[in-house]
Amino acid sequence: MSKRTIIPFGPQHPVLPEPVHLDLVIEDERVVEAIPSIGYIHRGLEKLVEKREFTEMVYVIERICGICSFGHGWGYCKSVEGNMGIVVPDRAEFLRTIWHELSRMHSHLLWLGLLADGFGFESLFMHSWRLRETVLDIFEKTTGGRVIFSVCKLGGVRKDIDADGLKEIVKLLAGMKAEIKELTDVFLEDYSVKNRLVGVGVLSRDEAAELCTVGPMARASGLRQDIRLDGHGAYAKLAFEPAVEEDGDCHARCKVRVRELFQSIDLITQCAESMPDGEISVPVKGSPSGEFVARMEQPRGEAYYYSIGNGSKFLERMRVRTPTNMNIPAMVKTLQGCDLADVPMLILTIDPCISCTER
Amino acid sequence: MAILKIGKMVMGSLFRKPATLMYPVVPRKWQERTRGHIEIVIEDCILCGICAKKCPTDAITVAKDTKSWTIRRMQCIQCSCCVEVCPKKCLDNKNEYTIPSAEKLVDSFEKPAAEPAAAGAGAAAAAPAAAPADGTLKCADTCIYCGICAKKCPQDALTVSRKKKNAQTGEQEGENIWSVNAETCILCGICVEACPKKSLAIE
Repeated sequence: MSKRTIIPFGPQHPVLPEPVHLDLVIEDERVVEAIPSIGYIHRGLEKLVEKREFTEMVYVIERICGICSFGHGWGYCKSVEGNMGIVVPDRAEFLRTIWHELSRMHSHLLWLGLLADGFGFESLFMHSWRLRETVLDIFEKTTGGRVIFSVCKLGGVRKDIDADGLKEIVKLLAGMKAEIKELTDVFLEDYSVKNRLVGVGVLSRDEAAELCTVGPMARASGLRQDIRLDGHGAYAKLAFEPAVEEDGDCHARCKVRVRELFQSIDLITQCAESMPDGEISVPVKGSPSGEFVARMEQPRGEAYYYSIGNGSKFLERMRVRTPTNMNIPAMVKTLQGCDLADVPMLILTIDPCISCTER
Repeated sequence: MAILKIGKMVMGSLFRKPATLMYPVVPRKWQERTRGHIEIVIEDCILCGICAKKCPTDAITVAKDTKSWTIRRMQCIQCSCCVEVCPKKCLDNKNEYTIPSAEKLVDSFEKPAAEPAAAGAGAAAAAPAAAPADGTLKCADTCIYCGICAKKCPQDALTVSRKKKNAQTGEQEGENIWSVNAETCILCGICVEACPKKSLAIE
């Protein structure tokens, strides 16, 4: 009869990029139960809507998270634009889509690096982040910022990308494709990497649906769920089919993200080819007085933005629900019965973003 | 087999120069749009304080009594909000980041005296076209009481109303009024630019 012990895991731990605490109930080397707790970096950003005008709030919302900052800015703008009945010009929607897909690439490359670091493959980690640098350079060139862009505003975008700029982006990404292929082949086919990922933390299709997983986590378990399918932004005009895998283990989650990297390059190329001419923003008049829910497909999954206005410059309430929030129950489920040594892999493969979750 | 898969990439890195840069010893290349720090042409500034009011992080302070414009560099998030709202376009976001520092940098700029003998060094392109900081807003007789100036005023210092026709009696009611609250007016000149009849002037 083995003895039960509790091992505290986090908020400071080498594999954790962000603070989450888990109490792991251990029997021998096996995890029986995991009890998560969050609350280490709550900043009260939602409360700030009472003090910041709705136009200035974009800057605050962008800073919810450093990785999906553009998506957060877009989601908030979409919510308030829907609230006020603003129709955003086509060109702005295409530009937003390009930046959003670039964010996805930058997020997935960062995640691949963290995963490699998690299972101790240092050089793979370095190479993932080296490739990510190209994407950050594109961001700096087109928006002026590397991580936080401040380029999305209510009614459109602030900066335009001209035809030469678009050509250059497409050329850079086409050049990156071969390098990404070389890098991701190691993740998908290497024996030692597969040893750590295949068959670990299997989440069946039914469990994934029952636990309301979102994003790559859901798609890796065979759920065809992607908010981009509803055709917001420019997605309605692009050929697009979400990357779905059936296995539901850590390797499948890795595979979904790798496939999404190539998909993003493809979507950006399509955007650049069919970029419409015209205005990049429309003036915003008046104040929001209705209520609206917008949904976005962030790199980590579905995010939800709710805003309700009272006709003044300050929103009555603003709510953001982020993908990690939805994926934590699934993470706890996969942790039950796993080996203690696999815990870092299971936490990493949901791509946790605690800053997003706590806002 | 792992060695073969990643081997090409690793060998490439052996003969390539490092992907990293010894920043800040080796200066980095800035992009044209890089937002590094805020710069002000203080001679053109009219100390209206709109930048301070709109700054999302309250990094800017404008003091009218000492005629100074102050920015807390560490608090500034380079969002360019102030550059967008500045009525005189005297703010700009320049490329270079502020130097790494363990102390909280605060930069203060004082507006030189209005006399043309501009004491400020390097103020070559100083402001002959800038509005005088002292004076009053005057309205000429050509005013049509359209109220555009009052709508544009950032301080709500203008009051405009005009005669209205009574729908039942057909008579004109009310009075044509244009007035300025000298205490709240900051002489930013936005109304002067917005006036469709060009009847406003700062004298």
